[in-house]
Amino acid sequence: MARMKFLCDAERCIECNACVTACKNENEVPWGVNRRRVVTINDGSPGERSMSVACMHCSDAPCAAVCPVDCFYTTDDGVVLHDKDICIGCGYCFYACPFGAPQFPKNEAFGSRGKMDKCTFCAGGPLPDNSPEEYASYGSNRLAEGKLPLCAEMCATRSLIAGDGDVVSEIFRERVTWRGSAGFAWGWGVAYNKSGIRKGKAIEGNAVGGD
Amino acid sequence: MFAQLVDGIFWDIALWVFGIGVLWGILSIFRVRNKPDYSEPRGSGTAGAVGANLRRFLPRTELVSRTRLHIVAGYLFHLGLFALLFFAAPHVLFFEAQTGLGWTPMPYWAFIITAQLSFLGLMLLWIHRVMHPVTRLLSDLDDHLAAILTFIVMLTGCMALIGEFEGLRVLHRFTVELLMVYFPFSRLMHAFMFIPSRAFTGAWFGRRGVKA
Amino acid sequence: MATQVQTANRHRRIIVWSLMLLIALMLFLPLIPYALAYVSPEAGGVPNPGTELWRAVRSGDKGTSQVQGVDTGVLINEYGEAWRHFRMEQLIPFGAMLMGSVLVLIVLFYLVSGPLRIPGGATGKKIQRFSVFERTTHWFTVSLFWLLALTGLILLYGRFVLIPVLGPEGFGLTASACKEAHNLFGPLFLVAILMMLLTFVKDNIYARGDITWLLKGGGMFGGGHVSAGRFNAGEKIWFWIAVLGGLVLSASGLVLDLAVFGQGREVMAISHVLHGIAALVVITVSFGHIYMGTAGVEGTISSMTNGYVDEAWAKSHHDRWYAEMQAAAGDDEAEQAGGGAAAGVASPVAND
Repeated sequence: MARMKFLCDAERCIECNACVTACKNENEVPWGVNRRRVVTINDGSPGERSMSVACMHCSDAPCAAVCPVDCFYTTDDGVVLHDKDICIGCGYCFYACPFGAPQFPKNEAFGSRGKMDKCTFCAGGPLPDNSPEEYASYGSNRLAEGKLPLCAEMCATRSLIAGDGDVVSEIFRERVTWRGSAGFAWGWGVAYNKSGIRKGKAIEGNAVGGD
Repeated sequence: MFAQLVDGIFWDIALWVFGIGVLWGILSIFRVRNKPDYSEPRGSGTAGAVGANLRRFLPRTELVSRTRLHIVAGYLFHLGLFALLFFAAPHVLFFEAQTGLGWTPMPYWAFIITAQLSFLGLMLLWIHRVMHPVTRLLSDLDDHLAAILTFIVMLTGCMALIGEFEGLRVLHRFTVELLMVYFPFSRLMHAFMFIPSRAFTGAWFGRRGVKA
Repeated sequence: MATQVQTANRHRRIIVWSLMLLIALMLFLPLIPYALAYVSPEAGGVPNPGTELWRAVRSGDKGTSQVQGVDTGVLINEYGEAWRHFRMEQLIPFGAMLMGSVLVLIVLFYLVSGPLRIPGGATGKKIQRFSVFERTTHWFTVSLFWLLALTGLILLYGRFVLIPVLGPEGFGLTASACKEAHNLFGPLFLVAILMMLLTFVKDNIYARGDITWLLKGGGMFGGGHVSAGRFNAGEKIWFWIAVLGGLVLSASGLVLDLAVFGQGREVMAISHVLHGIAALVVITVSFGHIYMGTAGVEGTISSMTNGYVDEAWAKSHHDRWYAEMQAAAGDDEAEQAGGGAAAGVASPVAND
């Protein structure tokens, strides 16, 4: 089975936010929820870089480790999904996640957040593939149709790449060869690379890019 | 299965028992005839009835120092419960679905603070009732059952706050149905009877020229 | 001639060696920055811009984002891992060990030494220990404490204990109910703690004799009678653990509960750590309090149910308080006998 990954090539990202818009449109996410966002570092100064970030589908997902109701699971493709019928909206996954990927439709006093929502790698949820219920709760299930996440498909500069980890790293390696320097790519295998966190089913985590 | 019963036949039964029971209780009290009072009226009965109804919202000055807890906790609980019942968003939606009449609900935070004050009042009042030797002796099963049932209804309500778990909503509605069935046969009837009973005593006293 | 040949040879040698040196320098000089960078990565050479950016991002440098919200400009949350580690590998296992071992110790202690009897047996003469208001405050706090403790413990341990029993859906429903109840009742606990503080603080200030009481372990060792006022040193310690722990729990709980003031993940994680530690400490110590109040010491429980204790109990456990009460009662009787004012209403039950 493939191990699905996102990779954002910071040398190419132009902060156009097309990935954010594509995601919102494709998944019809609840108001106030942004499954994907673009973060710009050193905005306006030399060395400015932008990166598109969403759930990185870690092999050692810390959100799954801290969830009090254990509602997370990892698919055979290495996609981290969760069951909204079990989620209680406690927000713990948001505290543990390195990327701020978990989102909540509400934020009211007395802990009212609503059920957590996050990037599904366009792979829907635990309900039957491409059923209306699945679409209403989790958004689109492009993976079941043999398509990749729309954010990456939509990226004009091909900065955001999604797909099988081997293919993604091969594309990036080729770019680096042509470019002559690695620059900075935003990719992720494991969140913190520590033992003791629940491992995804037989998935080897190896970080792409980074230092 | 259970959810269908709770939303269907149980609700119908509870509504009928509640409606008929409350009407029956009120009517039977109004049907009681007192002996005719041939005495010369020394004051207005109507004024006495209205006056007693209003005055009894305030505590007797002589007793304030000894009933401070009852006054504060009592008002917190009763006003809180009233606001919760009629102005909590899920309840307003429920009434609208049942009757077609809707009104503006409280915002979520106000609804929760109201619930908290209401819980504060109910818990303090019931614990004080059990702890005070006199009220403990005066209380019978009905008092305790009414307080505990009300507490359970409010607790299941607060547990179902997230509004996403069907089981919790059904549990809350089921406890409400239990309370509705119990209501006409208990002192909870004071919710309907407190105004006529104050009026009755007030009129009786007013006619005799005495402040009730 | 010979000298000419020698000179030519020397020239050739110089040329050859110079060339070789030149080649060697050409090969090795460019490596010096690499070698320096290898020895100390900070010094020398131009750092990889990507590496530098990466380091900045990992240390929590804030960027900007078009997405509005709390902490959306933070690319990497540097506290997430520390928080996960605390909750999953410290709070949950150590908390279970702490509570479990204290429970086991209490049961063992009870089995070995049994309850502490009233010396000389009960006299049947009763004396009021807690007023109606004090008891109401106590049981109000107790109700809220256990409601919050149970819902909190279910949220903390339910994943390991209750999911196998209730199944994932059943536990999701239970946990949701617990979370909502915990969030709603939490702020009321602050009211209870403040009521507790105001009601009992005057008798829980350090007094002479408390150190002796502690050194003798409340009469367990050292022999001889241990003297105490209305509350002994052990009760005072429990009072301050409960009140201060309760205040920490309330403060951190309110930060977690009212997450509408823009507090980010760092503040929330720290609050959670404080909340967890304080909760487990207060719950654990409460086991000891419950034991001493019920099975551990004969004749204690009635002080919190109907408010009265036996005179022998008071004399044995709180002799100085007993003496004060006797003196006050004596004064009252003398006053009533003398003045004849304040008729029947001075009954102890009316004193709420």
